[in-house]
Amino acid sequence: MTLIDVFSAVLLIAGGVFFLAGTLGLLRFPDVYTRLHALTKADNVGLGLVIAGLAVQAQSWATMGKLLLIWGLVLLAGASISHLIASRALQRGIRPWRR
Amino acid sequence: MQTLYFALALFLLLNLVAGMWRVLRGPTVADRMLAAQLFGTTSVAILLLLAQAENVAALRDVALVFALLAAVTAVAFVRRAWTDPETKHDAN
Amino acid sequence: MNRIADKGWSLDSVIPYFRSGCLRAVAFALIWWMLTTGAVGSWLVGVPMVLIATLVSLVLVPTILWSPSGVALFVPFFVWRSLYGGVDVAWRAFHPSLPIAPGLIEYPLRLSPGLPRVFMVNTVSLLPGTLSAELRADCLKVHVLDTRKNVLSELMVVEQAVARMFATSLKNAERGDCNEQI
Repeated sequence: MTLIDVFSAVLLIAGGVFFLAGTLGLLRFPDVYTRLHALTKADNVGLGLVIAGLAVQAQSWATMGKLLLIWGLVLLAGASISHLIASRALQRGIRPWRR
Repeated sequence: MQTLYFALALFLLLNLVAGMWRVLRGPTVADRMLAAQLFGTTSVAILLLLAQAENVAALRDVALVFALLAAVTAVAFVRRAWTDPETKHDAN
Repeated sequence: MNRIADKGWSLDSVIPYFRSGCLRAVAFALIWWMLTTGAVGSWLVGVPMVLIATLVSLVLVPTILWSPSGVALFVPFFVWRSLYGGVDVAWRAFHPSLPIAPGLIEYPLRLSPGLPRVFMVNTVSLLPGTLSAELRADCLKVHVLDTRKNVLSELMVVEQAVARMFATSLKNAERGDCNEQI
């Protein structure tokens, strides 16, 4: 294993941990709003780390660019979807959970 | 590295399955809609890992299409499909 | 910011379009290059596509004001804060006692409507502990994961950074129907 391999492996595993956190939040958090918090943020960071881990292994600049493009798209999609779901949930009268 | 890619891809797949429990259980329509979000990110990550592991560049394009589709379907779904009245208060 | 047709074809009015047209053509060419991972033969289709995309984008969105230094400052800020946001929510999800105290707050927006505002709404959802839930006239409803933290000052910093990126200034907030805490 080269140094780059080690670096990439660390990033990939860290990404996996964030995905796990996202799923855990999805299962444990009490209402749809808090679950959205968990999914949007943890999964996007997880994907970001996985993509970073793959990008350092990429064979060409164009491949690296494509990976970043995919990340940007998912980021944009995730942010707007979570806003749409949250605003629709408020409209529908789903009350936020309070401690 | 090959083993790590496959192991991580499998791990993410298990994550997806675990997340499906929330989608099936609800309790509100909004919770089910979280599936779009979950599938969007996780499936893209799995596809990219497989593309690297098996050295199939085309899978990256599939991931790209998934990323685009996830956005479009979710927006369409939230705007059009979610119209039945929601009365449940979400707390458990 | 008017359409080309409103102004007639004097040289002064065409130059800004020419400049943003060139910039966008470069951006689209870059995207094409990434999508095709640098395949040389693809430019046969790529060059016309880039030109069409540039023309269409100029017709649909004539000008976007932005500042390069603002973008250069925003990118590291965003990457750092969104990473922090992920760590924050992951920590709360893993913690056995689930340390969250969620609530809704209303934030009076000072950004001008349009692209800057939409950008702000999307950014807020990726930053630590905040989720933009509803956008009304001049008021952004934000769902907060932990109301014990001072979210308002964080939102102000974000707004400032977005305003700098789009080279606009912030107007004074009108409270109106937007009370900060509910």
